[in-house]
Amino acid sequence: MSVEDLLGRAGEWLKGTGPEGDVVVSSRVRLARNLNRFPFLTLASPAVRTEIERHVGPRLAEGKWPRPLDYWPLEKLSPLDRAFLVERHLISREHAQAEGDRGVAFSADEAVSIMVNEEDHLRLQVLRSGFQLDEAFEEIDRLDTTLEESLNFAFSPRFGYLTACPTNVGTGMRISVLLHLPAVVLAKQVDKVLQSLQRLNYVVRGLYGEGTSPLGDFYQVSNQVTLGKSERDLVGEMKRVVPEILKFERQWRRKLLEVERRRLEDRVWRAWGILRNARRMTSEEAIELLSALRLGVDLELIRGISVRTIHEMFLFIQPAHLQKLERRVLEAEERDAVRADFVRRRLEGL
Amino acid sequence: MNCQRCHKNHATYHLTAIEKGVKREAHLCEECARQAGVGLQFNFSVGDLLAPPPEEKAPKAGSVRCPQCGLTYSEFKSKGRLGCAHDYEVFRGELLRLLERVHGATAHVGKTPRTADAHVRLENELLRLKRDLESMVKSENFEKAAEIRDRIRSLEAELNR
Repeated sequence: MSVEDLLGRAGEWLKGTGPEGDVVVSSRVRLARNLNRFPFLTLASPAVRTEIERHVGPRLAEGKWPRPLDYWPLEKLSPLDRAFLVERHLISREHAQAEGDRGVAFSADEAVSIMVNEEDHLRLQVLRSGFQLDEAFEEIDRLDTTLEESLNFAFSPRFGYLTACPTNVGTGMRISVLLHLPAVVLAKQVDKVLQSLQRLNYVVRGLYGEGTSPLGDFYQVSNQVTLGKSERDLVGEMKRVVPEILKFERQWRRKLLEVERRRLEDRVWRAWGILRNARRMTSEEAIELLSALRLGVDLELIRGISVRTIHEMFLFIQPAHLQKLERRVLEAEERDAVRADFVRRRLEGL
Repeated sequence: MNCQRCHKNHATYHLTAIEKGVKREAHLCEECARQAGVGLQFNFSVGDLLAPPPEEKAPKAGSVRCPQCGLTYSEFKSKGRLGCAHDYEVFRGELLRLLERVHGATAHVGKTPRTADAHVRLENELLRLKRDLESMVKSENFEKAAEIRDRIRSLEAELNR
């Protein structure tokens, strides 16, 4: 598998076909694991990092997994290719920018990825389209159990799986659900949602994880607590919380359709007009417009375009994707032009 | 595990002493054990054994260092990341308070690796074998000692997968 292979498609989780797909873009579960016999990475020498990668990398690549994994050592990739993997949510921004031996194993459909030598020795991730927490959890749990047959993870009966940062200790599990909440934002109700989530110990972030602002009305909700609750408790709690937000967003969508249909339609069709005609476009603008278009498709205000197409555009308008498509380095201003051209071509004839 | 005295070499001497009714343990490398006179003197105190080698300065009070990775709690506080799995035991008291604040809990109730029990068993067996090895060497039963050494090596290999 190469970057060029990935360029021709989007990950399974972006298909937009999962349950509750009108509001829930994707479900993600990740596990943090460390090997018993090595120090955590903060204190690992370059030689130790190399040893960990050599120990784990081949096992991941050669293991008999339900979805075969390809292992990519990141040191061999250019900064642009690493940024490309960040944009696909296969690795974290920190992992891309770090130094020393490290890598990522992932499945061709991008549903599974395992970062090696990130903050912890292993970071396992399973991504699913829509609201599919049980399925994502079952898959990552099986993956973890299989890995445990050949790797000794740092574990204490009292504290559970031991992680470099105590905020991840115990289950080492973080569940994240990516939500699209345009109606709640339009109705200026989003603070209410965020506050109640915070009271329940959930963390809310923007689309690109820690420290990012919520662009395009996309919010990522994750559990903060990883200790003192079982994995199934954590899944169960998230499964009770998310439907409440879903209900709230759908109520506002209906209400806005009833009382402010014209305003909604105007917003969606303006977005359509700009996306189809603009000659320059920043990522922020594109994300906001595509978000409006996605709402229009969900509310059937606009037809003949699929959520999948919109999701693919979200993916490909990002800086590294545009540069890989164009096969050259682009300055910000050039990217804005290439981005507008890409979007226009994609929507032509629809 | 690294030697608790020099923090450099692998600890091969594992000693337990009861002092004023309190059980204490010391883990030393061969060199430090020799310097501390283990095997020659019978009345030793764990405190004496763990006293740093003479050429090194004694650590300041409150700056306990993890014997395995060398991290202190104040270093953890500034970095926000621990240095090794052993830190959870070394800084147990401080971490319990932190975990209570972050998670509202201090004990794991989730998944246990299938290998966890077996792992604890293996580690205990390893300790026992190392003690046996010591006594076999002392009594100059080298044939038996070699047997035990092989067994230790294979156990260590299994633990280090």
